[in-house]
Amino acid sequence: MDVPLLIGIFPQVLLDGLILGFMYALIALGYTMVYGVLEFINFAHSEIFIVGAFVGVEILLGLKGAGWLESLPWPLVLLLLLVAAMTVSGLLAVTVERVAYRPLRSAPRLIPLISAIGVSFFLQDLIRLVESVWRNAFNLVYPTLDALNHRFELTETLDVSVKSLVVIVAALAMLWVLHMLVNRTKIGTAVRAVAEDQAAASLMGIDVNRIISLTFLIGGAMGGAAGVLFGVQYGLINPYSGFIPGLKAFTAAVLGGIGNIPGAMVGGIVLGLLEAFAASYLGLLTGGAFGAEYKDIFAFSVLILILVFRPKGLLGEIVRERA
Amino acid sequence: MTTALFEARGVTKKFGGLTALRQVDFVLERGIASIIGPNGAGKTTLFNIFTGLYAADEGGVAFQGRPLLGLRPDQITALGVCRTFQNIRLFANMTALENVLVGMHARIGLRVWDVLARAPRFHQTEAALQARAVALLERVGLRGDPNAVARNLPYGDQRRLEIARALAAGPALLLLDEPTAGMTQGEAGELMGLLRALVADLGLALILIEHNMRVVMEVSDRVTVLDHGEKIAEGPPREVQADPRVIEAYLGTAARQRRPRAAR
Amino acid sequence: MTRAALAIGLIAASAWAVATFPRSVLAFLLFQGSLLHAYLAPIPRWLRVALLAAALLVLMPVIGAYNGYYLEVATQVGIFVALALGLNIVVGLAGLLDLGYVAFFAVGAYSWAIFGSPHANLIFGGGFPLAAGWFWAFLVVGLLVAAGAGVLLGLPVLRLRGDYLAIVTLGFGEVIRVLANNLDKPINITNGPKGITPISRPPVPFDVSYAEAFYFLVLAIVGVVILVNRRLEDSHVGRAWEAIREDELAAQAMGVPLVRSKLLAFACGASFAGVMGVVFSAKQVFINPESFTFLESIGVLAMVILGGMGSIPGAVVGATVVTVLNLQVLKGLSLWLNELKNAGVTVFGLSLADLPTQLEPAKYERMIFGMILVLMMIFRPQGIFPVRRRARELAGKS
Repeated sequence: MDVPLLIGIFPQVLLDGLILGFMYALIALGYTMVYGVLEFINFAHSEIFIVGAFVGVEILLGLKGAGWLESLPWPLVLLLLLVAAMTVSGLLAVTVERVAYRPLRSAPRLIPLISAIGVSFFLQDLIRLVESVWRNAFNLVYPTLDALNHRFELTETLDVSVKSLVVIVAALAMLWVLHMLVNRTKIGTAVRAVAEDQAAASLMGIDVNRIISLTFLIGGAMGGAAGVLFGVQYGLINPYSGFIPGLKAFTAAVLGGIGNIPGAMVGGIVLGLLEAFAASYLGLLTGGAFGAEYKDIFAFSVLILILVFRPKGLLGEIVRERA
Repeated sequence: MTTALFEARGVTKKFGGLTALRQVDFVLERGIASIIGPNGAGKTTLFNIFTGLYAADEGGVAFQGRPLLGLRPDQITALGVCRTFQNIRLFANMTALENVLVGMHARIGLRVWDVLARAPRFHQTEAALQARAVALLERVGLRGDPNAVARNLPYGDQRRLEIARALAAGPALLLLDEPTAGMTQGEAGELMGLLRALVADLGLALILIEHNMRVVMEVSDRVTVLDHGEKIAEGPPREVQADPRVIEAYLGTAARQRRPRAAR
Repeated sequence: MTRAALAIGLIAASAWAVATFPRSVLAFLLFQGSLLHAYLAPIPRWLRVALLAAALLVLMPVIGAYNGYYLEVATQVGIFVALALGLNIVVGLAGLLDLGYVAFFAVGAYSWAIFGSPHANLIFGGGFPLAAGWFWAFLVVGLLVAAGAGVLLGLPVLRLRGDYLAIVTLGFGEVIRVLANNLDKPINITNGPKGITPISRPPVPFDVSYAEAFYFLVLAIVGVVILVNRRLEDSHVGRAWEAIREDELAAQAMGVPLVRSKLLAFACGASFAGVMGVVFSAKQVFINPESFTFLESIGVLAMVILGGMGSIPGAVVGATVVTVLNLQVLKGLSLWLNELKNAGVTVFGLSLADLPTQLEPAKYERMIFGMILVLMMIFRPQGIFPVRRRARELAGKS
């Protein structure tokens, strides 16, 4: 066992894990907020997330085609991508809720879950359809922004790209905004009230339907932003790219404590780190027998272990009082 | 010296900071015993501990000498302790007959192989079960179509069906949680007649949780009063009725008819 | 009398239509529709059984002689009917949403694939493949291995509440897929994404072609699966499952052992998939992890939902509709669209040849599954053939 190597790659793995973790955290927020308010797994959130990535790539390709991409300052471009993706994803989430979940709100719990699975599948092929017609291709590559690809060498074995820093900063900014929104505004209090007890909240004059729509809007927007960052970071997207990250982000939400917003952040980062370490060290430790390909199993194993041994998660779940 | 049929000693249950039951003793040999008390006194919690839905924090429960704590609800049912629920929990989309048949699950000796192969043993057993189930429905006074879907039955019939279902496993001890809730005085009286007949014919012992004082006074051999998780009185109905602590706990409504409370 | 004549007439006419127009997808769909009609029509039971037997045992193979593809479709439908019936036990009867059901199918398929092909030589050094006759023994092996996998999965997860159970089973399905894709080192168990081939087929009597042999084998297994399903449903086992689905707490209080009953449901459902997995791998001669993805799990779920959870005729019809949709309708649309493109047809002045080449209706299975799931949940969650109908049927007869 090459111990110096193992130690040497540690900082890089740590950084990769953090980036991955922040991405999972952003996606996990969508799952956890919806679960907190409706006790329902929004299976389609993985597609809400990847739609954001597609909005980003379409804008970038459009800008590139018009020749403006290189002349605009990259923070402006990124901001444009984020705002556009958040808007589209947020509105898509609200629409999905209205069409596919609201009619089923009083049905037994598995019914809306099955509907959500259906929406997820439908959206995957819808994206494929739209992109096939529009661009005759649905495996899309994010155009590179040279400024973002610039890498800083921090140490001998550790370098970080501007891209990675941007992802971390953007994620932190959005988490902070969400925290302010949920904890310091009247609307945020209303969301927390509805999450706690829908009947009581409506008796206090809160329009529950509006708050639920708002929850989907916010969660969807977070997912859309994560989609842009995902595309920027990893470069290659297709309509089915959302499925696995979505599943892992849900694992992160459960890991941190479902319904618990800080929990989603913590769970995301922990999972990201675990996965990065598994991907990098598993192969080295087993002599190549079990390598990075098993990192997905790692995440799923975490899910199974958490649900079986500590379903409340690390920070404790926040779900409605059972009547 | 025979062991008591049912014996609970020092039962204590805490939910977080709240002590729902504190050192409750309860012994039953035969006949009908009622547990009464204001809402929140811990009556249903006690039932849930007796039937294995909750685990007690302290104390012991034994039935026919066998300890019950730690057993699962289905194991306790198999031993001969069955129950009904405060809010009706029938299998709503199954027929009355099917509800009773499910109640017999613990007594069916068939193996999966018998089911698949449809051996003569299977047909005999099923026929016997069906006949017994129909007889049970009649005994509790359900004269309608046994194939009526449970959710379509009138309320009073649903309560009777719950009792039939609880009797299906041939218990020696039956726990009924507010069996007359929502009934008129006439209906409640009829149900009490049924319960007395069951005790006499089947040699059952009965523990009732009740709010209907008239029913309690009429039918019980013994009354136990819980308040805030503690037993504050126990004895024949008349004695308990006159006990000042009981009257205080109920704020003086022991003599008056209490209206059954809505589900908690 | 006229009803009977109608039923017979429809079957005969549509069979003739298929024989005359072997390339017409519509004719084959009509034939299938005539079978459904015979199943539902108020005709005497003996006639119903006779018609369906004649259609399935005689007419179908004959049609297969005119267009081999139809026999292939019928065999695939049969395989998925068995899978749907298996999932029906888990989801429909016991109420456990298993999203990773295809894992049991995979386990069965790989069990024969490994030992019934030269691949096992890579693990054991020699002596494989087993003689083709071992296939029949492996039907049982596949059943047991899959049932074992079902119990292994079930034990830790059955205490979870409904939606968590769904996600964990999904995770399990994905784990199996990743394992299938990657267990080619350190020991080469599954040969990874390359798959395993050639897989032995069982020896076939007389002069029957493999296509026909597999058709009858699948038909026979489906028959057994339906029988087992019926017998379980009409017993204390089925009643216990229904009670668990209605109210788990009350069921337990009434003496139903929850864990054991749920495990039994898992094991039964898994075993059907295991058996069909063995058949599938022998039929295809080649399997790889691509056949065992989440898409397939959801496809089978869509079949059960469409037909009606807990309903045996529902599972049969659901599996048929969805498989035919994918194998025939979507594919037919693709082919038809291509023909139109090649012929230079224009719609509203736009030449269809200008349509993006990436647009292939055959690939849009997910959209179909998705729509089925959402629309059924909103408009008819009980499915096309809801369960209670059978109870009313029975009550009427007695």
